Amino acid sequence: MAGTLTLALTKGRILAETLPLLARAGIEPAEDIASSRKLVFPSNRPGLRLLVLRGTDVPTYVRHGAADLGVVGKDMLLEQGAEGLYEPLDLGIARCRLMTAAPAGWRPTGSRVRVATKFVNVARRHFAARGMQADIIKLYGAMELAPTMGLADLIVDIVDSGNTLRANGLEPLEEIATVSSRLVVNKASLRAAHEPITELLGALEAALPADGLAA
Amino acid sequence: MDTVDRWQLPDGVDELLPERAARLEALRRRVLDLYASWGYRLVVPPLVEFTESLLEGVGADLDILTFKIPDQPSGRTLGIRADITPQVARIDAHALADDGVSRLCYAGTTLHARPKTPLASRAPVQAGAELFGAATLAADVEVINLMLATLGAAGLDQAVTLDLGHGDVCGALLAQLALPPAIEAAVFDALQRKSRPDLEAVLAEASPVARNALLALLKLHGDAAVLDRAAAELSPVAPAVGDALETLRAVALQVTAHHPGVDVYFDLAELRGYHYHTGIVFAAYVPGHGEAVANGGRYDNVGRAYGRARPATGFATDLKTLVQLQGVGARESAVPGAIAAPDGDAPALVAAINALRAAGEVVIVSLAGEVDPRCDRELAADNGSWAVRPRRGN
Repeated sequence: MAGTLTLALTKGRILAETLPLLARAGIEPAEDIASSRKLVFPSNRPGLRLLVLRGTDVPTYVRHGAADLGVVGKDMLLEQGAEGLYEPLDLGIARCRLMTAAPAGWRPTGSRVRVATKFVNVARRHFAARGMQADIIKLYGAMELAPTMGLADLIVDIVDSGNTLRANGLEPLEEIATVSSRLVVNKASLRAAHEPITELLGALEAALPADGLAA
Repeated sequence: MDTVDRWQLPDGVDELLPERAARLEALRRRVLDLYASWGYRLVVPPLVEFTESLLEGVGADLDILTFKIPDQPSGRTLGIRADITPQVARIDAHALADDGVSRLCYAGTTLHARPKTPLASRAPVQAGAELFGAATLAADVEVINLMLATLGAAGLDQAVTLDLGHGDVCGALLAQLALPPAIEAAVFDALQRKSRPDLEAVLAEASPVARNALLALLKLHGDAAVLDRAAAELSPVAPAVGDALETLRAVALQVTAHHPGVDVYFDLAELRGYHYHTGIVFAAYVPGHGEAVANGGRYDNVGRAYGRARPATGFATDLKTLVQLQGVGARESAVPGAIAAPDGDAPALVAAINALRAAGEVVIVSLAGEVDPRCDRELAADNGSWAVRPRRGN
């Protein structure tokens, strides 16, 4: 793939906030990503194409070198580990928090808790650091339902405004990490295409809002 | 296990079928001949050793890669080697006990408890060379040149990127800054990921000098201009960095004099094997492969654990990866056009077959009259004697 760089984007909310940032850096997809059913898009920047993927798949594509760069939430990097990747930039977009949450008034009663989450590794590390034995239940969606239905005591999930939690009788407990989208780079790509990647990083960094740098 | 699953191999465990196996073996012989021609003597370390010797001084990375089994007679733990380099260091320190320069090489199968990288084989065939007893730059240059020659032997020396780094750049900086251990570990983690936001967060409380120097380190990768920038940005903070930069500059000059086509890339924040290596670290990258195809570095004093501290430098590569990168058809099978011979025990026929085989030909006996498709010639009776002629109908 000499000469062409591939940038993998995370679809959904992150994509909606990434496109204006790319536009400020002078990068526009050759057609409207939102209305197209395609998954690969040429861009107006020569030698750069865009992929649109699920967030969980972005680190995989970049780690294997199927994409040279990627935009992905820090939550995915915390969950999957960042081995084989560089993560040079915080894009400061799609900000939210990874939190534990439980039914209002819940207090731990024993030494073991049941935790429903899609962030299995994050949850395991978090409770281990607090000396708590956690039984992790992997779910793929609607975590908020698990404590109500007696499947789990707690959940670990992304919290934005907290409205979904409250609507389901839960309250946020502890913040595990603040999350925003990161730019990740394949280690071998940075060597093989050092100049164009450094240039692209520079353009993206310059396009960040002034307060977007601090994590 | 259902019969339909009995063919299945464990994750990450592969086997080589004839064509690729022939290429691997041909390559193994070529590189071992190459090392012998540079004066490196072959050693064959054992497949299993006590973990105490296998894992001494090499860090946690190798520990989690190593399969372990109890040794019933001794009550100790055996490890199946995940890396041959520490075994060779043990051999040099303990078994050879030669005070001069010792050049050793090896090739053998290793086993990884988990794949080192996604999709990597868990049973790489590691080949490499180690040079003990010489602390000079010339020794590092020699092993780097031999590493590049190894890629040449595999036909992979076009468009090689040689990665150079030096643990003392980061080491001198961290020593000078004397950060609390917890912060230093977090700095280390952020540097490995080149994560500027995480590094900034970790250093929020640190002095501006430490912050600026470590943030500068993050961007110190690229061509030789990096060394000048490093001298300007880091030397005022940690003067000891200068020696490491000079080493890198000198090594790069000498290697590119031998290999003008090699693209040298410096990465001063590269911390691979930081707890093991004691000086320059190097790696070779080729297009189309996301990981280094060969890597190595200086690891002085690892031998101390085996009774003798020795200067040491060396490199290793995975021959399976090299063969895979050669691509299908890049090198023809090691079996040349073969000769078909009739089955029989007539002394003249047997003698003719033996003579051809001794001369290096491949002779395949047609057991039931069938002819192996690899045969382009045949052994046929000609006036009472046996002669080779082009295969009929070919």
